[in-house]
Amino acid sequence: MNEMTASRAPAAPSSVIPPGVDTVAKLFWSTVEARGDAPAMTHKDFGIWKSFSWRDYGAHARLTGLALRSLGLKPGDLVAILAESIPEWLFCDMGAIGAGGVSVGIYPTSSRDQVAYVLTDAGARFVFVEDEEQLDKVLEKRAELPGVETIVVYDMKGLRSFSDPAVMSYEALLDLGRAYEAAHPDAWETSLQVAKPEDPAIFVYTSGTTGPPKGAKLSHANLIFAIEHWREFAPTTGRDHTLAFLPLCHMAERMMTGLRPLGYGGVVNFAESPDTVLENLQEVSPTVFIAVPRIWEKLHALVQMSLGDGTAFERWAYRRAIAVGEAVAERRVAGKPVPLGLRALYALADLLVLRNTRRLIGMGHARLIGSGAAPISPDLMRWYLALGIPMFELYGQTECSGVATYYGADEYRVGTVGRALAGTELKLAPDGEILMRGPHVFMGYHNKPERTAEAIDAEGWLHTGDIGVLGNDGVLKITDRKSDIIITSGGKNITPSEIENKLKFSPYITDAVVIGDGRKFVSALIMIDQDNVEKYALKQRIVFTDYASLTRAQGVRDLVAGEVDRVNRTLANVEQIKAFRLLDVLLTAEDEEMTPTLKLRRKFVHEKYRPEIEAMYAKGQVG
Amino acid sequence: MALLEVRNVETYYGPVVALRGVSLDVEAGQIVAVLGANGAGKTTLLKTICGAIDPHSGSVAFDGARLDGRDTWEVAKRGIAHVPEGREVFRHLSVHDNLMMGGYTIRDRGRLAEDMKRVYDLFPRLQERARQHAGDLSGGEQQMLALGRALMMRPKLMLLDEPSLGLSPLLVTEILNIVRQLNEAHGVTILLVEQNANMALDLADFGYVLEVGRIVLKGAGTRLKDNDDVKEFYLGIREDGVRGVRRWKRKKQWR
Repeated sequence: MNEMTASRAPAAPSSVIPPGVDTVAKLFWSTVEARGDAPAMTHKDFGIWKSFSWRDYGAHARLTGLALRSLGLKPGDLVAILAESIPEWLFCDMGAIGAGGVSVGIYPTSSRDQVAYVLTDAGARFVFVEDEEQLDKVLEKRAELPGVETIVVYDMKGLRSFSDPAVMSYEALLDLGRAYEAAHPDAWETSLQVAKPEDPAIFVYTSGTTGPPKGAKLSHANLIFAIEHWREFAPTTGRDHTLAFLPLCHMAERMMTGLRPLGYGGVVNFAESPDTVLENLQEVSPTVFIAVPRIWEKLHALVQMSLGDGTAFERWAYRRAIAVGEAVAERRVAGKPVPLGLRALYALADLLVLRNTRRLIGMGHARLIGSGAAPISPDLMRWYLALGIPMFELYGQTECSGVATYYGADEYRVGTVGRALAGTELKLAPDGEILMRGPHVFMGYHNKPERTAEAIDAEGWLHTGDIGVLGNDGVLKITDRKSDIIITSGGKNITPSEIENKLKFSPYITDAVVIGDGRKFVSALIMIDQDNVEKYALKQRIVFTDYASLTRAQGVRDLVAGEVDRVNRTLANVEQIKAFRLLDVLLTAEDEEMTPTLKLRRKFVHEKYRPEIEAMYAKGQVG
Repeated sequence: MALLEVRNVETYYGPVVALRGVSLDVEAGQIVAVLGANGAGKTTLLKTICGAIDPHSGSVAFDGARLDGRDTWEVAKRGIAHVPEGREVFRHLSVHDNLMMGGYTIRDRGRLAEDMKRVYDLFPRLQERARQHAGDLSGGEQQMLALGRALMMRPKLMLLDEPSLGLSPLLVTEILNIVRQLNEAHGVTILLVEQNANMALDLADFGYVLEVGRIVLKGAGTRLKDNDDVKEFYLGIREDGVRGVRRWKRKKQWR
C-alpha cells in the first residue's frame, strides 16, 4: 500500500467456521479439503524457500495421527512437541489433535529439568523432538519419566548408530501411519469426530513469575471461538503472507501461525532461526506481521542507525518525510480528515523516502502490523504510523485463548488496545484489574485447582493480572501488570513498563528494568544494544575489548546517561530515573533472565542483580 | 603502557568485515594468546598489526609509536617479526639462505654470524640441514626454520600464526618448548594465534577469545582454561551425556 487510506480490515463477510464444525480437528480437515493445493507454509531448506500445500500439510498430519493411533493413542492422551518453529511442529500438532489427542508445546530453549517438569505435569505419552540436542534432554531425564512411551525425532543427524526401542525417526513414524491407514482406511475420519467441543485441545505452559510453570488447558470451543473472532482481532485473508519466528508453544505464535490459518488460509513462512528474523523479514516481506515489541524496537533502531551512516541530505530528506508522515498520522489517530495539500505532500514523501525505508526493514508489502505479548511504546507506534504502516496493539493472554480486544476497521488509536471482542465481557475490578468473561476464557490450569480458582472466580470472570483504564466508549488502556506496579516509599504509584518503553525507544537500549518499589527514588538496570553501541564506541574511539568492557567504558555510560536524561525530561519528577546500572552480560533467549519473547524477567532480574541494585541505593546518584 | 596496543581495529576485505572493533594489549615479556575458530579473524588481526593490511579504522601502537598505515618493512624494522600461517619458507632456497633472508636488513657481518649461531644453537636440526632446500624439510623443521628466520632480526615482538598447524603432537610439544624458551631465555614478547587452545593456554600469560571479528572473552591463561565455554568449544571437554556420544554443542554464552 502506498497511502494510509487503505483500510486495515477487509473483514471476512461471514463466519469462517463452516456449519457443523465445532472442533479444531474438524476445522483442520475441512480447511485442508477446501484449500487443497493452495500453499500453506514455506520454510528454508539449504537456503531455498520450499513450500507445503494444504494437501501436503493434511497428508503429513493424517499419517502422524494414524501412526499415533497405531501406537495406542487414546482420546485425550497427551502428545508433547519439543522443537523450534518448523513445519513438522504443525504436522504433529494437527496430527495429534486430529487423532483425538491433546497437544502440548515445550520451549526449545528449556533446560532438561524444565522439559522433564512439563512432560511429567502434562503426563505426556508421546514426545516429538527436533533433533539430537532436544532428544538428549528427554533421555537424560528418562528415569523420571516412566509415562513417556515413544520419542520421535525429526532430524536424525548424528543418531545413525543410535538405537533404542522407544526412539524412532519421524520418517519411520510416517511409515507406521501408512501401514495403519492401509489396514484401517476409515480410522482418520472417525478419529476426527472423537473430540467434543468442551474437551481440551491443547495445553499451553506459561511461566508464572512465582512457582513452577502452569499448564493452561484450552478447549476446542475456546480455540474455535478465538479463530472465529480473529477477524476482528487482527484481520487477515487467504492472500496474506506472514512470518513465524516465536516458538510455537507461545500462545501468540500458536494462534497466529498454527490456528488462525485454519480459518483464513494464507501462507505462513517460517524464519530460519530467532537470530535471522531481520534477514528473513527482508526476504519474505510479509503482508501481515505480528511481533513482540523487541522486534519493532530493533527495526526502528535499524533505521536510526542506517541514517547515521547516510549523507546529510539523506538525513534531511528523512526528517522532512517523517514529519509529513507524523502530521498525517496525527490526524488519523484523532479521526480527522487529512487535507488535500497534506495528502499530496505525503504522496511525495512516500514516493521519495518512506517507501524505501519500509523496504529496508522488510515492510515493503506490509498491510497490517501488530505488536503483542508486552506493552509497546506509543512513540514507537506513532513512528510506524508515520512511516505508513498502520500498527495496532494486540491484547490477549494464554488464559483468554490469546484474544481479548479489537479495534474498528478505520480506527487508529495509539496507546489503547480497543474494545472487548463480540460475545465477551470486560470490566475492571475495584483495584483496576482487568476482568474478562466469555467463551474465550480457558478451562483452567492442569492439576492446579487452587491456581485455577485464583484465575477464574465463582462468577466466571478471568482475573488477568493486568491493571487498566476503561473509557466510557469501552476502549481499554493497559497500565501494567498488577504485580509490577511500583509504589515508592513516598507512596507514589509508578508504572514501570511505561518508563521502560521510553528507554527502549533509544537505539542504544535493548531492554530495561525499572526499580523503585518501596524505595526513595526510581532506578533502572539497562541492557545496551550490542551492535549499535559498538558502532557508536568505534566512531567515538571508545576503547573496549569484550561486551563486559563495553558496558564499563565511561563513554558508553555517558551515552546511556544522555539517553536516560532525554527520557527523564518527559517524566514527572517522582518517575525520573535517578540512578542506573548497565548489565554487563549479553543475554539471549537461552538465559533464564529472558522470556521467550526476549524480555527481561523482572522478578528474576530483581533477585539476580540484588547487589547491583542495593549499590545504586547505597550510593544514591547517577552512576 | 603496554608494548603493543591495539585499539578498536576494524578491518575489511572489500565489503566483508573481518574485524569489528578489536582492542587488545600485549605487555612486554608476556606471551599472549588469541584463540578462535576458522574465520574468526585471527590471521587478519596479525596481518593488520604487521602492516600487510591497513585497518579501516582504529589504531595499532608499538613501543609508543603508531604503526597503522605503515608498510610492513617499517613495522619489521621497529622490531616486530611475523611468522605466518603455513610457515611460508622460501622452498627453493637452502636453510642457510632462508636464515640469511631473515637477516637481510642487518649490515653488520659480525652480528649476522652471531645471530646465525644463536639460531643454530636453538635449532641444532637446522644446522644439520643447512645446505638442504627448505622445501625438502619436514613440517616441524619448516616451522623451526620460520621461527629461526624471524629470530634473525632480533625482534622485540613475534607474531606467531598457528605454529602448531599440521604438526604431530610430539612436534607440537617441541615447538611449544621452543616458544617458551624464546620468551624466557631470549626475552621475546609473543603474540600467538591458535586453534589449538590447549597448547596456547598452557603457554600464555593472558588470552583473548575472538569470534567473528569480536573479542568475546579475555582473561589470564589459567582462568580461561577453567571457563566452561572455552572448555566446551575450544578444549573439547564436555559431558558425554547418556548416549555416550554427543554431536551438538550447547549454545555459546561467554559470561
